[in-house]
Amino acid sequence: MGDILGLIARRLGLGLVILFVISIIIFFMVELLPGDIAQAVLGQGATEDNLAALREQMGLNKPAIVRYLEWLGGAVTFDFGSSIVTGERVTGLIGERFMNTLFLAAYAAVIAVPFAIILGVIVALLRNSIFDRVANVLTLTSISSPEFFLGYILILFFAVKWGMFPAISSLSQGMSLGDLLYRTFLPALTLVLVVTAHMMRMTRAAIINLLASPYIEMARLKGAPPWKVIVKHALPNAWAPIINVVALNLAYLITGVVLVEVVFVYPGIGQALVDAVSKRDFPVVQACCLIFAATFILLNLAADVGAILTNPRLRHPK
Amino acid sequence: MSLFVIAYYTLLLIASCLAAYFNQRSAFLLVFGLTLISFIVGIVGGPGALAVIAIVAGILALAAMVSYAFREFMIAIASHDMAKELRTAPLTAAFGMFIIFTYAVAGIFAPWIAPHGEAEVIASAFAPADDNMLLGADQLGRDIFSRLMYGTRNSVGLALAATLLAFIIGALAGLLAATKGGWFDQFMGRFADVIMSIPSLIFALLMLSIFGPHIHVIIIAVAVIYAPRVFRLTRAVAGNVVVMDYIEAAKLRGEGNWYLIRREILPNSTAPLVAEFGLEFCFVFLLVAGLSFLGLGIQPPTADWGSMVRENATLISFGDITPLIPAAAIALLTVSVNFVVDWMLHRSSGLKEK
Repeated sequence: MGDILGLIARRLGLGLVILFVISIIIFFMVELLPGDIAQAVLGQGATEDNLAALREQMGLNKPAIVRYLEWLGGAVTFDFGSSIVTGERVTGLIGERFMNTLFLAAYAAVIAVPFAIILGVIVALLRNSIFDRVANVLTLTSISSPEFFLGYILILFFAVKWGMFPAISSLSQGMSLGDLLYRTFLPALTLVLVVTAHMMRMTRAAIINLLASPYIEMARLKGAPPWKVIVKHALPNAWAPIINVVALNLAYLITGVVLVEVVFVYPGIGQALVDAVSKRDFPVVQACCLIFAATFILLNLAADVGAILTNPRLRHPK
Repeated sequence: MSLFVIAYYTLLLIASCLAAYFNQRSAFLLVFGLTLISFIVGIVGGPGALAVIAIVAGILALAAMVSYAFREFMIAIASHDMAKELRTAPLTAAFGMFIIFTYAVAGIFAPWIAPHGEAEVIASAFAPADDNMLLGADQLGRDIFSRLMYGTRNSVGLALAATLLAFIIGALAGLLAATKGGWFDQFMGRFADVIMSIPSLIFALLMLSIFGPHIHVIIIAVAVIYAPRVFRLTRAVAGNVVVMDYIEAAKLRGEGNWYLIRREILPNSTAPLVAEFGLEFCFVFLLVAGLSFLGLGIQPPTADWGSMVRENATLISFGDITPLIPAAAIALLTVSVNFVVDWMLHRSSGLKEK
């Protein structure tokens, strides 16, 4: 047990190092700005006095490395400074939105994960049948479509033509869970369609890979019934790849959410990021990027750890 | 029971009997399955739902016929070796090649195909389709069909340029890392890890917010994001080639790194690289489309599919599907490239999943 914890701790440390490097990239990329932030905010027509005043106010006179350390120190305690457009605290601006995004992603994941894994296994067992071919074409189409295409098709049918669900996910305080689920159904369904396709294909590939291994052939040759081959021989070994697939797709879900939020005007962090980018509100952009990157790394880390836990061979590298 | 419903079922039953008689098992299962599904759908949805099924089946059959004809056409004009390869292409791959060919024609000859200019205002905002405008006008009164044609050139061209740049950087770095090894290999590997652990859309947004949405910024940003993925694959493929004896022999002859890459490694790793190019193009195309949908891609008045969807999205709430056409164009091209890549991967790996 001890070395599993050690291994996980080492992975976690590696993740932290990568996150640290990313924070450096995110911070110092803004420094590459032609001119500086004050110039970018005030535009070409700004007078020298105004620029100097703004630089003073934003602390731009300090060397970059000091500002980076201050920013990083703030980021660790979820304090990302204040927006340069509205002057609000960034944390207040995106805190609740982040929760909304997590809710949407979790909603989609709860539907997509079991659905995709079951379908993926079925397709793998029926491989090369007509069902498998149709599923292949359908999932490929779903993967190849931009998220906004799927989103607008759903809006066209479910909201405009049939009037079953609202096209715009307006959330308000104190909504009941049922109401919340109803209002966010279309964005969640869009994400489910995209992620399910990805996950199904990956699950199918993992299971087919598994079914080709010698011990499955052995089990079949000794006359074990098909369900027993699956449940007793294939499934215990299938967990590692499946956990991997799930974690990778959740990471994908977190970023795929940006476009979906814009389509459905969902008050999430993705929309905040897009708004901030077009207004060039750098503290908000940096904060959103860091949060997205951290979530992404965390989920990839979960994939690694899951693989280690379910596959003893990885615990004892040769 | 209307005449349509009777004809519908008669046709399906005749087709399934024929399939069964000629021992076409999968065709029989498909057609008869469709018949059974039609019973349920027909009871629930009425003749309207059956008409939808008939239209979809008709479109699919049409697509299959076009792909078949196009494959035969290519086999007829290709050289002997190429024709042999093309015969192994499934219909989906042939369909993909046909679509790619169509897009290429539309992109190259856009000024001749499009009846109006790219940014020419010819009607009132959101004017409906008429003889002059095939698909109606957009939010400023420009012809949507003409913009769609010009968009082929702009959107696909931009994605192609970005993919090419990513590929040149990534493949060169990968090949160099494989031949040189040592600290260069290690450093590039770690560097690629870091870039790849930032979600691609987020990274692109970060760079665009800093440098502004200009075409060259988009191309470079996308290339920086996707080069590590190309690097990974090239490194892995070339890594398998580098350990071969003929590389050892070439090294002993005293050949330099550049010669090794150009004459020994590259010719032996083309197949996976070409397939990878197709895959990367799909990712890049979707990313660029997403960016321009967010208003951060090619700036107006240049026509571009992603921004066309966004500009006309209000029409959707009136039940009009015109804004979906550019989005469908994006999806169709990506699917087509994927179909072709699937076939090439299948062929180059020699894997026949049995």
